[in-house]
Amino acid sequence: MEFGNLRLAEKENIVIKNGCIINPQTLDKFEADILISGGKIKEIKKNLVPGPGDAFKEINAEGLYVCPGFTDMHVHLREPGNDGEEDINSGVKSALRGGITSIACMPNTDPVLDSQHLINYIKLKSKELNFNIYPVAAITKDLSGEKLSEFGLLKSSGAVAFSDDGRCVQNARLMYEAMKYATQFNALFILHEEDYSFSGSGLVNEGYYSAMLGLEGISCFSEDLMVARDIMLAKAAGARIHITHVSSAKTVDMIAKAKNDGVNITCDTTCEHLFFNDSCLTGYDTNFKIKPPIRSEADRMAIIKGLRQGTIDAIASDHAPHLLSEKNVSFKEAAFGSIGLETLFKASFSKLFFEEKFSIEKIISLISYNPAKILNIEGGAIETGRIANISIIDTSCENIYKSDDIISRSKNSSFLGQNLKGEIKYTIANGKVMFINN
Amino acid sequence: MDEKKDILSLDKFSVKEINDLLEKTDSFAEILKRDVKKVPALRGKTIINLFFEPSTRTKVSFEIAAKRLSADLINFSESSSSLKKGESEIDTLKTINAMKVDLIIIRHSDSGYINYFADALPVPVINAGDGKHEHPTQALLDLYTIYKSFPGLTGLKIGIVGDILNSRVARSDIKLFKKMGMDVTVIAPSMLIPENFSFFDVKIAAGIDEVISEVDVLYMLRMQFERQDKKYYPSISEYNKFLSLDLPRFNMMKTGSIIMHPGPVNTGLEISSEVMEMEESGKGKIKINTQVTNGVAVRMAVLYYALS
Amino acid sequence: MREKATVLNADDIERIIKRISHEIVERNKGSENLIFIGIQKKGVPLAKRIKESIESISDSELKLGKLDISFYRDDVNEKIKSDVSITEIPFEIKGKDIILVDDVLFTGRTIRAALDAIMDFGRPQSIQLVVLIDRGHRELPIRADYVGKNLPTSLNEFVEVKLSETDDEDKVSICWI
Repeated sequence: MEFGNLRLAEKENIVIKNGCIINPQTLDKFEADILISGGKIKEIKKNLVPGPGDAFKEINAEGLYVCPGFTDMHVHLREPGNDGEEDINSGVKSALRGGITSIACMPNTDPVLDSQHLINYIKLKSKELNFNIYPVAAITKDLSGEKLSEFGLLKSSGAVAFSDDGRCVQNARLMYEAMKYATQFNALFILHEEDYSFSGSGLVNEGYYSAMLGLEGISCFSEDLMVARDIMLAKAAGARIHITHVSSAKTVDMIAKAKNDGVNITCDTTCEHLFFNDSCLTGYDTNFKIKPPIRSEADRMAIIKGLRQGTIDAIASDHAPHLLSEKNVSFKEAAFGSIGLETLFKASFSKLFFEEKFSIEKIISLISYNPAKILNIEGGAIETGRIANISIIDTSCENIYKSDDIISRSKNSSFLGQNLKGEIKYTIANGKVMFINN
Repeated sequence: MDEKKDILSLDKFSVKEINDLLEKTDSFAEILKRDVKKVPALRGKTIINLFFEPSTRTKVSFEIAAKRLSADLINFSESSSSLKKGESEIDTLKTINAMKVDLIIIRHSDSGYINYFADALPVPVINAGDGKHEHPTQALLDLYTIYKSFPGLTGLKIGIVGDILNSRVARSDIKLFKKMGMDVTVIAPSMLIPENFSFFDVKIAAGIDEVISEVDVLYMLRMQFERQDKKYYPSISEYNKFLSLDLPRFNMMKTGSIIMHPGPVNTGLEISSEVMEMEESGKGKIKINTQVTNGVAVRMAVLYYALS
Repeated sequence: MREKATVLNADDIERIIKRISHEIVERNKGSENLIFIGIQKKGVPLAKRIKESIESISDSELKLGKLDISFYRDDVNEKIKSDVSITEIPFEIKGKDIILVDDVLFTGRTIRAALDAIMDFGRPQSIQLVVLIDRGHRELPIRADYVGKNLPTSLNEFVEVKLSETDDEDKVSICWI
């Protein structure tokens, strides 16, 4: 396994031969070679021969799929403030390992991304590392749920969206004012939906397993009530909202109806929510402690259906690194969250392709084209003239996922011990081969 | 080497194994009736009573049980209020393990944490209560008390009254009673029953009067109103009206029926003082003290089983 | 386990019970002070038979206790036996002459454990040991007062005692392990 030097900006000339290119926008695939030069895709055609004289790095992609680099729209990089868990550098390497070339990072850092200079800092880091990091700024100052942050200024500095992720604005009036104000800047809200009166000190999905295991439950009402509220408010305010990490069947249902009703709404779910149900909790493994909680099988099925029917637009990782010392404690004391950048494709592919019979194009669209479109950013397509962000995947491998496989600084993955299918072979970010898995 | 015999819950025990254990408990109960209440069965064995959550009754019960069998028991209580909670607990565990003990009894306020300890330790671990999860020895002593009061367990009607939601005793009891073929009704207000309780396959009643004349066993759970999670229940007066065992209700109970409580009783709340006085008058219905005595015998059997 | 030879049949066992019963009465000059304790499992029915035999000889009613020695075994550090039976000695043994009954006397360790157990119940006047078979190989300085049959054995043999109370017949046989 090799990583490119993140700090060297010079572009490479690359030719990708004999691969099967996936177009997630049109949901089809075709065989062709790709020529990359000066950071951009120069040419796509069969039996491509690079011009004489130029030195080309050749990638033989025979039997592999060549996809637009993946976009993960829900990542916690922990920088600034918690670089023991992760920092931008290690997070970017973890993303590259997962075939991801663009990430949106959440503002619940320390300090919170609620001021221009912090947004500038993330953008600067992004440039320094030649990797697309799109900062998401806080909806409320310090995620307090009390005072709105400067949407106009933050957006002009490069905030791709606004979110109080990890927290949820409980004050309905404040949320309504926020939405109305956001529309004046055409700003997107990424909403973590949680009614605290229903989540309270809950740890896991409220149901059979919470009762059996003596773990306090988080009712689906916690998510559903807030989604219902925000759909109503967004409709009235004309706001553009994205519900992140959808976990419950009722929420999927409400979003489908809201879409039909013309509300400007999109949503994502996470690999955990499409992969597991709450029966995974019986061993009290704290890596399964996430928020919103892993729900029942009926909820999981609704999520699969939502993905299939297009109600759920994207899959995100909600990559949430935590120290071992935050996870090697009792279930009650453990931190919420699982890392996921490196398993975004593998986990989605393992479940959706093999068990749920999704096409590979459909799966790729959920982690590339769709999230890029939601965020209104570059990416999600392989076309001549575009910046070369490409991941090349092998769908024929499978491996039991182990702690040693993890590049991220934190090892708290829900997928440890799972048989994961598919593998990232190359990640090309901004025209440079940044990850090779040989 | 055989797999070590942890007792974290009773889920893995078959009906036959439970019946065997009940039968064998008689042999341990017999020791408690002797003048010399001690046998050398576990001589040379060292047992740690590791309590991360305060307890007196269960702790003393295990201590007496161990000593009746001549094991050396060391009490180890650690307040778990320190900031670096997790770290200090694991550290404690490693330290104790290094002392080469033979068995560890653990109580912890967080559900399921004991499973983690059991995996980490090479010696048998007995669950003395973990959070809101399980309390297997309490369930066994409750079952043993019922077993000694009735000719058979199958089909016995049992009513469990009170806070089902937060009680590990209720959770362990219900599972065990159902396993043994008993007919279980829980009598509790909606906010003290877990959501979707139908999973447990028991009947639910809102008030004690619905079942009082039919039950063979009336099991009163301890109610702790000072706990935060009782905030949704209206008042003690409401509890008294619908869920307390008072004298008129006591008099409506079937001949041969019994009353149980894990203790300590909040006299006047779960059971009225008039009914509690009946215990002294020798009516024999109230088995609360018998439960305590049986607790020692059951724990002797459990310790012996875990070390054999 | 394979049976090698029958050592005692039902008639033999009945004769032995009668003989030992007479010996006990003779040696103790009557039966007034006697108490019978059978060691679980096979010692219990044997003790009962002897007790009943003596009751018919002396026309008296005598007491029978059951003793399980699991809790007194000396091999705790090897493996504790989890097959525990009930102990029932619901009477005063202080000052009594105890007739302790077991089926086979071998190393003597069971009897050592039984003696310890009995002492926990009080201080008897005497303890006398009855065994149906004495197969030798003692590891402790213990001998029986009344022996049904001395049976020289080797260590890779096993003495199997069947009694109609727990099995389908009365029979003692010697088997290969």
